[in-house]
Amino acid sequence: MGQAPSSPAESSGRDTALWLWSPEFFDCESIGFEDVVAGGHHDFTGDLPDDCLAHVFQFLGAGDRKRCSLVCKRWLLIDGQNRHRLSLDAKAEILPFLPSMFNRFDSVMKLALRCDRKSFSLSDEALVMVSIRCPNLTRVKLRGCREITDLGMEDFARNCKKLRKLSCGSCNFGARGLNAMLEHCKLLEELSVKRIRGIHESAEPIQLRSSSSLRSICLKELVNGQVFESLVATRTLKKLRIIHCLGNWDNVLQMNGDGNSSLTEIHLERLQVSDSGLSAISKCRNLETLHIVKTPECSDLGLISVVERCKLLRKLHVDGWRTKRIGDEGLIAVAKHCLNLQELVLIGVNATHKSLSAIATNCGKLERLALCGSGTIGDVEMACIAEKCVALRKFCIKGCAISDVGIKALALGCPNLVKLKVKKCRVVTGDVREWLRERRRTLVVSMDGDETKGPVLVNEDDQRGLEMVVEEPPVADGGGDAEVAGGAGKLAMFKTKLGLLVSKSFVASTFRRWSQSEATSSSSS
Amino acid sequence: MSKSEKKIVLKSLDNEAFEVEKAVALQSQTIWVMCEDKCVGNEIPLENVTGQILAKVIDYCKKHAVVDGDGDESSEELKNWDTEFTKNMDQSTLFNMILAANYLNIKSLLNLTCQAVADKTKTIDEFHTFLNIENNFTPEEEAQICQENLWAFDD
Repeated sequence: MGQAPSSPAESSGRDTALWLWSPEFFDCESIGFEDVVAGGHHDFTGDLPDDCLAHVFQFLGAGDRKRCSLVCKRWLLIDGQNRHRLSLDAKAEILPFLPSMFNRFDSVMKLALRCDRKSFSLSDEALVMVSIRCPNLTRVKLRGCREITDLGMEDFARNCKKLRKLSCGSCNFGARGLNAMLEHCKLLEELSVKRIRGIHESAEPIQLRSSSSLRSICLKELVNGQVFESLVATRTLKKLRIIHCLGNWDNVLQMNGDGNSSLTEIHLERLQVSDSGLSAISKCRNLETLHIVKTPECSDLGLISVVERCKLLRKLHVDGWRTKRIGDEGLIAVAKHCLNLQELVLIGVNATHKSLSAIATNCGKLERLALCGSGTIGDVEMACIAEKCVALRKFCIKGCAISDVGIKALALGCPNLVKLKVKKCRVVTGDVREWLRERRRTLVVSMDGDETKGPVLVNEDDQRGLEMVVEEPPVADGGGDAEVAGGAGKLAMFKTKLGLLVSKSFVASTFRRWSQSEATSSSSS
Repeated sequence: MSKSEKKIVLKSLDNEAFEVEKAVALQSQTIWVMCEDKCVGNEIPLENVTGQILAKVIDYCKKHAVVDGDGDESSEELKNWDTEFTKNMDQSTLFNMILAANYLNIKSLLNLTCQAVADKTKTIDEFHTFLNIENNFTPEEEAQICQENLWAFDD
């Protein structure tokens, strides 16, 4: 309500601002508000104390706040004094404006400086000027500030000692600047470094010289990222993410492996890490979350060594990618040892009912499960899950060889299921959605061909991670994508054709496998 | 505790008296502190709030007291109620609700009413025309702020 269209003819807003012209507005007597000037010409905002007006501003986005700053001097002042978060276009030309801007915004705590690829960024001089005027910064984000050097970072570090979070990407400074940050910002808890080009092969190692409060490190797309080796071994560290960094990382992970690590979360993605790296991780006894995504050298052996020793593991994500060296054997070990497992995401992992039924049976706390792009996962596997995953609340299946039979089985089992997502499973038809709607009214179902996107569940923070992984199209073959891209009519035709082609052999094999599953489940019980 | 102790009388600026459950009134931190200090009897004078506004504040507190009490009513239902509550409020009432929520120190009501005002923000011209705020910038000052604003991203 009350959003004025932006056409210039209406810029006076007379037609649109109905709220402010409502009849009650003029009906001052019935309101009993004595100060109202006859005719309703009264600035109600003038009655609000500064902190109330600041409170209203809190609910506005940065764009609206910019507009508010132009309303009058009082608003300018109140907005400026209460702006804690500021994101600036960090081009070189900003320099002359910085003094007056930071006089205006004198209580900024979270600052982002972003410069686009084609422009010259602000220099050391500008960065130091900012740091002198904002000694209370707690979070800083630098993006594309290519002109900033190690010297600028050193001064910045000296002036902003209260920094808790630093994230830098696409900058040219290097190890010296980062070491200065670590030396002077003793409260630093989170460090995120992406595409920092000034880290040379012979760079000084990045390390802490004194005790620290560092809890989280994220390294992304780095060359020579191994200079962070000793930082990774920091005793206070809880969370480690290494993504798409060149070179071998086994040795770095071994720095952690003496059993005293405080790490609870490790995320490795697109990385040269082998089973010996995983075996080093297995010594992190407090580990609760492990993501091994597109690490082609990791095999069942590595996974087994982790799950045997990390008894607290609650969340496991595996993306087998190309080599698919993780399969049933590793997953059976997961079933045997990870009794606390709550979340399991398998992408491109050739798991079968052998391992999935073991996981379903043993991991009684499993609440969230996602299976993507696995040719081995079919209706038999769905039957295992349906029967035994009693705690399961959210289930996503994508690009797997399941049919309506599997979906129905799932809906007849899994008593606690609240959300189901089925994507790119080509044999699954729209009919099953109707069937589900009747059978499980409270179940939120999201399927291909949904007109509207399924409701997004945001009540659980864990869910976001799961959704994110799951959103990535894991199936590499073009067929699935083409199918989705086509119009609805085409899609239906395609499905019918496919259905005709596949149904005969599929039904036969489905029945065969169903009976197999009966046999296995009865023998296992 | 006797029945009379469970009730409390709130008296508005214009001498209107409202008898409410203590649990309802105590959502106001200001009233809570007054009761704690025992500096008042069963009747609490609220010198900054008119009867018309106080009635609305009490409506809000009653609704939220019930929900907080049984915990069963869905939060969605409450959200919808909140939206309806502020939806048709005229400008004067809304701003007076903010003042009342601020004085009575009811955080959730302050948030709700401030959010409602924020939702209604419009263009700069509209602020001047409809909220009757005087533009007291010189053209040079205005140009300077516009220049500065250009450097800040909107997200």
